[in-house]
Amino acid sequence: MKKKKTKLLIGDILGCTGMFIVYIIPFLFILLNALKDRKGANKLSLSLPDTFHWENFLEVIKVRDFQVLTAFRNSALITFFSVALLVVAGAMAGYVIQRRKDRKIKMVNNLFMVGLMLPPAVLPTIWLLQNLHIYKSFFSIVMLEAVINLPFTIMLYRGYISTIPQELEEAGYIDGCNRFEIFSRIVFPLLKPINATVIILNAIYIFNDFTTPLYFYPGTDNVTIVLTLYNFIGQFQSSYNLLFADVIIIIIPMLILFIIFNKRIVNGMVAGAVKG
Amino acid sequence: MDKKKLYSFWFLTPALLMFTIFFLIPTVTSLYFSMTVWNIDGAKFCGLNNFKMFFQEDSLNVGIRNTLLYAVLTSILKLVPAFFLAVFLTSKIRTKNILRSVLFFPSLLSLIAIGIMFKAMMHPSKGVINKALAVFGITGIDWLGNTKIAMFSVIGVAIWEGLCIATMMFIASIQAIDQNYYEAAEIDGANWWQKLRYVTMPQTISARNSIIILAFIDGIRSFELIWSMTGGGPGFATDVLSSIVYKQYAAGYYGLSTAGNVIMLILISCLAYPLQTWLLKREEN
Amino acid sequence: MKAKKVLAALLAVTVVMGLNGCSSGLQGAADAEAPKQQDERQTADAAQTEEPKKDDEEVTLTLSVDSDETLDGLQAVCDKAKEVLGITVELDIYTAGTDGDNIMKTRLASGDMADMCVWSDSKFKSVGPDKYFMDLSGTNIPDKLDDTYREAVTYNGGVYGIPVGTSMCGAILYNRDLYEKYNLEVPKTWDEFLKNCQVIKDGGDTAVLGTFADSWTAQVLFLGDYYNVSAKDPEFYKNFEAGTAKYANTPAAMRSFQKFEDLKDYYNSDYMATIYDDGCEILAEGNAAHWIMLTQALSNIYSLYDKETVDKIGVFGIPDEDPDNQGITVWTPSTIFGNKNSDKTDDILRFMEFYISEQGLDAYCSAQMADGPFLVKGYESASDGYRAVEEDMQAYFDAGKTEVDMQSQVQVVGSDLPAICVEVATGQIDGKAAAEKYDADCYKAAVQLNLDWKE
Repeated sequence: MKKKKTKLLIGDILGCTGMFIVYIIPFLFILLNALKDRKGANKLSLSLPDTFHWENFLEVIKVRDFQVLTAFRNSALITFFSVALLVVAGAMAGYVIQRRKDRKIKMVNNLFMVGLMLPPAVLPTIWLLQNLHIYKSFFSIVMLEAVINLPFTIMLYRGYISTIPQELEEAGYIDGCNRFEIFSRIVFPLLKPINATVIILNAIYIFNDFTTPLYFYPGTDNVTIVLTLYNFIGQFQSSYNLLFADVIIIIIPMLILFIIFNKRIVNGMVAGAVKG
Repeated sequence: MDKKKLYSFWFLTPALLMFTIFFLIPTVTSLYFSMTVWNIDGAKFCGLNNFKMFFQEDSLNVGIRNTLLYAVLTSILKLVPAFFLAVFLTSKIRTKNILRSVLFFPSLLSLIAIGIMFKAMMHPSKGVINKALAVFGITGIDWLGNTKIAMFSVIGVAIWEGLCIATMMFIASIQAIDQNYYEAAEIDGANWWQKLRYVTMPQTISARNSIIILAFIDGIRSFELIWSMTGGGPGFATDVLSSIVYKQYAAGYYGLSTAGNVIMLILISCLAYPLQTWLLKREEN
Repeated sequence: MKAKKVLAALLAVTVVMGLNGCSSGLQGAADAEAPKQQDERQTADAAQTEEPKKDDEEVTLTLSVDSDETLDGLQAVCDKAKEVLGITVELDIYTAGTDGDNIMKTRLASGDMADMCVWSDSKFKSVGPDKYFMDLSGTNIPDKLDDTYREAVTYNGGVYGIPVGTSMCGAILYNRDLYEKYNLEVPKTWDEFLKNCQVIKDGGDTAVLGTFADSWTAQVLFLGDYYNVSAKDPEFYKNFEAGTAKYANTPAAMRSFQKFEDLKDYYNSDYMATIYDDGCEILAEGNAAHWIMLTQALSNIYSLYDKETVDKIGVFGIPDEDPDNQGITVWTPSTIFGNKNSDKTDDILRFMEFYISEQGLDAYCSAQMADGPFLVKGYESASDGYRAVEEDMQAYFDAGKTEVDMQSQVQVVGSDLPAICVEVATGQIDGKAAAEKYDADCYKAAVQLNLDWKE
């Protein structure tokens, strides 16, 4: 018994040191260098700063008329609206696809599953948006982010709805609810756990998405948070302290969310990933 | 009860409408546009010239090779470490919850941020990695500057990042294994390794397959990490399809860019889809 | 045991609640902020549209400029313009190099360009400038521009820009201290240059500085060698544009790519991680002997250090076989273009006229010295310049041994040139393969321009 305990202790120690080196040091490296002055940070070493330059963060935030703040707002709004859209459209589609098994529905389902794998066609999409006169509009980026994540969302809902007994809906039908009431009053309230998963997964993905805004939402007022980071690579390429400060600014909201919703996020992501 | 009436097609319309307009139409028209000389001035049909160019020119077809290399290696190489990490993190060690959180965190971050982080650490003369190696008397490598190594360095970082999800999937799968299997194996006198080999591994096969498929598709579409770490360089050494698509787009060669997109589409439908059916079939047997 | 658990749980709850409170507080603030910001922007927009009507004394123009440009001179002119014209110019800095070109093209295509932008005159023709840029040919600006430069910014009869700075050269910058230390002479032929490199390498110093993390810097050897190409084959650029001459079948032109092969062993070991800004410091501090670079680096070094440091740098043209015909390739400077679709084109024009006036250029010279001759007719800087310009470069100009960079003379410019140059510099391919690759790259560009090229 004692032997087992020492073995576990060794496991703890090895695990912690291993994880520390592989997964903590990179973040520490960024944080330490974000707090140095330009000369110190450009040495790229893993030492403590001589003096802590907290003003680096302020400087980054101030760049180009507080672009970082605009970007935060843009990213948050895009994420919020596209996730909301995904929850509504995804739940409804997943519901019908799971419940009805005729040929027409099967075809629709296959169509969505193709979208799960294929990359979006970049330039034809721009061409289409331009012809619809919605290129570079908030509406179009929300739609695109939603559509890209739609197949996956439908799949999650479809999987979860299969665990809900159909009898409930039948009972509702007998009680005289119409089909929309059945969905909104009976089925949708039961989807809470999967809603959480869908929201978390999509929010993380959309907030961090780089490619979609890069192609479809250009413009200095339209920047998203990841795009500012990308722009700063060029601008701060010789001042690592500011570049890293920007990285930290982007990491912090995620870190806070992660500390608060740790279990939820992990479970949601695992559930999502396994079903994928 | 009329199923068709209760589960009306109307429920599908929002999703279907969005999907058709913003995904299906562009995807279908991309087949046409990939056969045009297309720039700011408009599109002109040119047959299969773009594809011919893609396969003939080294600076373009290197992307196809690298994409396959990247997709295959990132999907396979993380399996073994992820599996053992999962076994380790489902054992009785006390710090497992903290360790799981630590391992998981990178998957919340933008790949651009991760790329910046590792690019700085991989600096050949100043970088932390080479300095750490120097402590052990090993001469450092030019991780991203050496053309033979750069691709593998990026793949390494991709695995670092992808390990989180893969491990979590294995953990979920291991936790779902019926304890009776282990008990039965113990009665038969199985040792630690035998239990791992004959219970844990076969029971987690569906997680393994999901990891391979997900990583493979992600690999073919990957862009952010490569773009933020090497920009496709040195030269064209780490160019992948999506970085080429972007470069052609930026150069104003829209037709060529779309052709790259279509090639990506073909690769996925010709490789990922059969791979999935094959894995599923084996899983069932 | 149990008590401990309860305590831990309680602690966790308080922590989480605390954080929760914090975050919801933040959220609230952010929500409140968002509409306010929008309001502000709306009012700002409204103000902007009204502004020209009210008075045109106070105008703000935006100017996009790439991050490798030395901004001192430009900034000085802008400050002066604010004083004299009442035009405030806000600089907006974008990434230099290939990435920057991509950004510019995207911004143009999406109608998102600033009022003015600084861009290369070799790139602007590829986007169809008449759609985006102000044609200055109706004004008195073209008459003031140097002929060669005017040629470079002319497209279909329209004249599209003014020079942001002075002309410069693509040449070999060298550190005079190191040349003294090793007792070397400025080489007259390529072989002599390689011999010098060998001496420096044997002495333990970096012979040639590579800054290929900024891949555009790799092109300078290739492009700067154009003097030698045109010396041997003066018709090359015409035949190339017509699609009859290729790099791979013109030995004089292919030689430019092959020169990379000779330098393979002389670069610093971290050349793929070194950027242009690093390069300025490394050369100035004597940690490398040669840097094949545009002479604009002199101004960058001057703004980082002082006159004394920058005068330790010398310049010579990229040598070839003939010691009696060593020349230098001249670059036109980046160009300020006006956005045709801006609602302030009159102010842009006023700013441009001011920029190339004597007053404007004097302001420029007060902040930054010339990297080469000015391209505005009849203007001579009163202040003294860098030693490298006044002694080394002037000698080439006096002897008439200069040639204008080929990219500003032709329409077809391959987009992958930086990557190809890095590829050959890092030894992945040889010079011949690079020439073939660049031919294919140019063919791609020609197809897009609807030129009738044979493959």
